Amino acid sequence: MIEELLQSSPGWANFGIFFLLGAVLLLIVLGFVTYGILAERKVLGYMQLRHGPNQVGGKWGLLQTVADVLKLLLKEDIIPKAADRPLFIIAPVIAFAPSFMVLATMPFTDKFQFADIGVGLLYYIAVSGLTTFGMLLGGWASNNKYALLGGMRASAQMISYEIPLVMSVLGVILLTGSLNLNDMVEAQKHGWFIILQPIGFVVFFIASIAELNRTPFDLPESENELVAGYHVEYSGFRWAFFMLAEYVYLFAMSALITVVFLGGWLAPISFLDFIPGAVWFALKFSVVVFVYIWLRATLPRFRADKLMEFGWKVLLPIALANIFLTALIKSLFF
Amino acid sequence: MTFSGEFLAFMGIALVAIIGGVLLLNLTKVVHMVVSLIFTFVAIAGLYVLLSAEFVAAVQILIYSGAITIIMLFGIMLTKHNDEHEPKTGKWRKILVFLGVLGFAAAVYLGIYNFNIEQVPTTLHENNTMQIGKALYSKYIIPFELTSVLLLVALVGSIILAKNEKKEADDQ
Repeated sequence: MIEELLQSSPGWANFGIFFLLGAVLLLIVLGFVTYGILAERKVLGYMQLRHGPNQVGGKWGLLQTVADVLKLLLKEDIIPKAADRPLFIIAPVIAFAPSFMVLATMPFTDKFQFADIGVGLLYYIAVSGLTTFGMLLGGWASNNKYALLGGMRASAQMISYEIPLVMSVLGVILLTGSLNLNDMVEAQKHGWFIILQPIGFVVFFIASIAELNRTPFDLPESENELVAGYHVEYSGFRWAFFMLAEYVYLFAMSALITVVFLGGWLAPISFLDFIPGAVWFALKFSVVVFVYIWLRATLPRFRADKLMEFGWKVLLPIALANIFLTALIKSLFF
Repeated sequence: MTFSGEFLAFMGIALVAIIGGVLLLNLTKVVHMVVSLIFTFVAIAGLYVLLSAEFVAAVQILIYSGAITIIMLFGIMLTKHNDEHEPKTGKWRKILVFLGVLGFAAAVYLGIYNFNIEQVPTTLHENNTMQIGKALYSKYIIPFELTSVLLLVALVGSIILAKNEKKEADDQ
């Protein structure tokens, strides 16, 4: 359907359809973010032997996040006097825009995908790197030493862990022979890449937690050293945009792991094919999100110098060895 | 004249690229200049997409707007970043420069308008990632390997530079 639209002659109707599709995806993502935050708080709560939100919106606190967002919208918008005003305003936008852009190439099911581009995986990694600027510029524009340190840490960490992230999926790319995400799902018909590429998956998963700035790698906003990191000076809706970017990346990264390692919309066993692909995708996706929350509740934070050492001296060599091993296996057995 | 979607996209992206370039020259704060440079780089990646060179576009974003600008930003933030520009030049010089730019633009426009490129049908846009890979590892293998040696030399050089600094700090 998208292919037809792209080939048809441009006009207001076409523009409207694209706009509507984009708005629908944005609403889906916002819905995920709303309930993703609630799920995170509930799961964290139960893991720490408490209840989590249970007041607003019934027993399960279903309206808690909605109320929080309303509060953020109504808050006073503060821009510090010594801040670099234009950069301070544009930084949350630069941080958020790429997080939504990466979803364009994600194949949710075999039909529900916006752009089937040949270099889908590379596109995701390249565009997600742009968010670093938002954090770095936000930290710099705040004119606050904690914010600057947080921004510096964020960019150093994201760049360091981008390298093992790319290197660990090279094994998958070698087995698929393509950078296209659809081809990757098709290649997993006879076995998911989590089974064929266990080392690659573990490295990718660890590096992805660091990319998402989540515990145990949440050094950019480690509250006991840096107050809150790069967004100390932000409040109200601008702060909400940074948070939104973070959770949209959680959405995108979980979707990417589902597609690349867990077989996307494919059913695990062929006789379960009658269940639609969207359901399978949602199930696998939810499992990945749950594991992220689970790790957040379980692990303590890394130390800053250990973090860099771990990325460069442990993850990168393992990822390189995995490429070598995969190439060997491929040339011997396939 | 009909507006195709490609034309509209081209106009938008080209405008962003040019405005980014102009702002890079005209802004006074160095960090703002780098931000406008990012916009130019991303817009150029968009132009590559319009030319169906997706791989080059992704690499452009990854290397230029990802890696290189981050290094520039780090360099600027860790050094003196409050440097303001020197005072502006005189009025007459501005007018003369503007006339020069206008003349150059007219010359380039006329040159390009009458320049006729013969269109040859190619298959370069199909599977271009695979084509780049094949060309790189067969036809251009020696330059490719030479580049890797060059990068290795740069890597070793930077490590030696960093190590020396640490030793000096230890001595003090």
